Amino acid sequence: MDTFIQLTVDALTLGSVYALVALGYSLVYGVLKLLNFAHGDVFMVGSFVGYGALQALGGPVSPVVPVWLLLVLVTLAAMAACAVLGVAIERFAYRPLRNAPRIAPLISALGVSFFLSNSMQLLFGAQQRDYKSYSLSGGSLYFKGFDIGSVHVPLLRIITVVSAFVLMIVLWFLVNRTRTGKAMRATSYDREAAAMLGIDIDRVIVFTFVLGSALAGAAGVMFALRVPTFAAVGFTIGLKGFTAAVIGGIGSIPGAMVGGLLLGAAESYTAGYWTTTWSDLVVFSILIGFMIFRPQGLLGRADIRKV
Amino acid sequence: MKKGITLAVIAALAVAVAAGTANGSSKVAARSQSVSCSSTLKIAFVAPLTGAAGFLGTEQLTWAKLAVATLAKPLGLKIQLIQGDTPVEQGAAPAQALAQKYVADKTVVGVIGPSTSGAVAASTQTYFQAGMAHISPSATRVDLTYTVNGVKEGTPAFFRVVPADNIQGPTDASYMVNTLHVKKVVVFDFQEPYSQGLSSQVETYLKAHGVTTIHLSAPNTTTDYSSYVTKVPSDADAVFFPTQQPPAAQTFAEQLVEQGKTAIMFSSDGSDAPTQYNKPGGYVSNFAPDITGIAADQAVIAQWKKANPGQSVGSFGPPTYGAVQVLLNAIHLACVADHGTLKSRADVFHNVKKVAIKQWILGGSFKWSTKTNDPLNTKFYIFKIQSDGSYKLVG
Repeated sequence: MDTFIQLTVDALTLGSVYALVALGYSLVYGVLKLLNFAHGDVFMVGSFVGYGALQALGGPVSPVVPVWLLLVLVTLAAMAACAVLGVAIERFAYRPLRNAPRIAPLISALGVSFFLSNSMQLLFGAQQRDYKSYSLSGGSLYFKGFDIGSVHVPLLRIITVVSAFVLMIVLWFLVNRTRTGKAMRATSYDREAAAMLGIDIDRVIVFTFVLGSALAGAAGVMFALRVPTFAAVGFTIGLKGFTAAVIGGIGSIPGAMVGGLLLGAAESYTAGYWTTTWSDLVVFSILIGFMIFRPQGLLGRADIRKV
Repeated sequence: MKKGITLAVIAALAVAVAAGTANGSSKVAARSQSVSCSSTLKIAFVAPLTGAAGFLGTEQLTWAKLAVATLAKPLGLKIQLIQGDTPVEQGAAPAQALAQKYVADKTVVGVIGPSTSGAVAASTQTYFQAGMAHISPSATRVDLTYTVNGVKEGTPAFFRVVPADNIQGPTDASYMVNTLHVKKVVVFDFQEPYSQGLSSQVETYLKAHGVTTIHLSAPNTTTDYSSYVTKVPSDADAVFFPTQQPPAAQTFAEQLVEQGKTAIMFSSDGSDAPTQYNKPGGYVSNFAPDITGIAADQAVIAQWKKANPGQSVGSFGPPTYGAVQVLLNAIHLACVADHGTLKSRADVFHNVKKVAIKQWILGGSFKWSTKTNDPLNTKFYIFKIQSDGSYKLVG
């Protein structure tokens, strides 16, 4: 039972990060019908910005602000930087190709992905950056928390999961309860019609990228608080975030959340109960299974074409 | 019929041309390989200079530079050290590419490295075919110089100045059994040659001494070890974690604490990096002692510190100094035998095993084993990580 509880905690932690990444994919696909393959590298940049912000605020051993404020500031810095990066990517890599055949922005997205990962490696080297969160406040992020049976759930994991859920709720609220969110939904249904109704499409698309990239930045910080980050990490995490988005239903926000959590569970339980060697194999087999048997994902809509 | 005869004649001509060209090529190659010993000769230094193991290569490079700067001139040599980067994350490709590059340059007469076992395995054939001696200061995989299960990955042109894992593995396992008194150990490998060889050595020894072992295998690209930590039994005494990425060892150690596991972390020489892996209570093994305690090394340490202000002497650098010392002496011997003109790189390679060093930087003297291209009578050392993150020699 303890193993199940521990693996569930792992699944929630991992799944929360994947869900945040998947949301970015779903948001952009929903509005632009574009698979933003650079999204994983935006996540990576966010983790690096968070690392830089952490050092600027005194580092993990002697931060100049209380730990809770440090975490908030580091996350906000990463979100802001990634939002700006997202706007730049949209402006220079995707907007000029908006009316081009769909493969063109896809290739551009791949190019941006390689550009980002190699640029970061060139600028900062290939070595891993460790937030050393164990040193924060004398290890309290690890030692504090609560116990379920003999399983200790550390504060760091609680922060990761709760923060991810809060961000998802904020996103849901933005998309469903605000005028801008309504404009985003209208654009995703029919871009031309939305434009004809006076919606500023460019502004909506930029806002979408801001939202998605900011979430990726936050995910980057949450990830790097627990494990070291490096320039090549974006590829794997991006791939898993994309898988989560597809499983949940690409273009569906609730689907992205569900997909992320499911993916985290699949990876965690496979590693725990079967074999750690094949957890990635299982994850991507699930992706293939969904593509074949339910391509619209769990909560996505089937693509109906009128003849 | 006519067509058949025509084709046969063309084929015969082609074979003749190829044979003639090949003969001509070898003669051309032999002529082009000779180089004057009074000209500037190049030594290539091949190590991970970036990436998770970049700390190892950059430390080794500082000692290689010192050795060239201080030892070449007394031997009558003008040496230029050129660098090649082999990040461990990129696998075998960089090592192969660098090997091709260096063998094509006739002024490169020897190689220090590659530093990692995987890079050696990937490039040793290329160096051997070019007659290029390559002396590694840190590649410890057993089958690079020994035949293991009928396979020997290394070539006669590969040498190393540090002991192989068939000494590290039993040393680590013996310490766990005799000093830590372990009964149950989780043994990791990372699906790459270095850790697989080492974990196999350790597991064999532990099992032979009645210790229960649990084997876990994680991809080299793993960053989050939570699921693996979950599989570590709460009654495990130790975890053998032979990673080449010290941040991974640090992460695993922290996640062990996170999940309330009490197993002791035991890592190998790949994790020896006090600035990156410093979780107190863990153990690390390495092939070099702390040379700051060796009286005969004080002068060279002072020179190194002057050239590298603010840095501390690590474990990977001094063997590199030794490797360069051996190579320079081999070049000198070859130059003397060839009367001032190196006829080919192979002359250097053939002189490597004639080198013996009376005052070896790692203590004592240096001699080659007569059976393999390994040093004679070497050992591994065990360090314990202290509460301040420093490493203390304990075995």
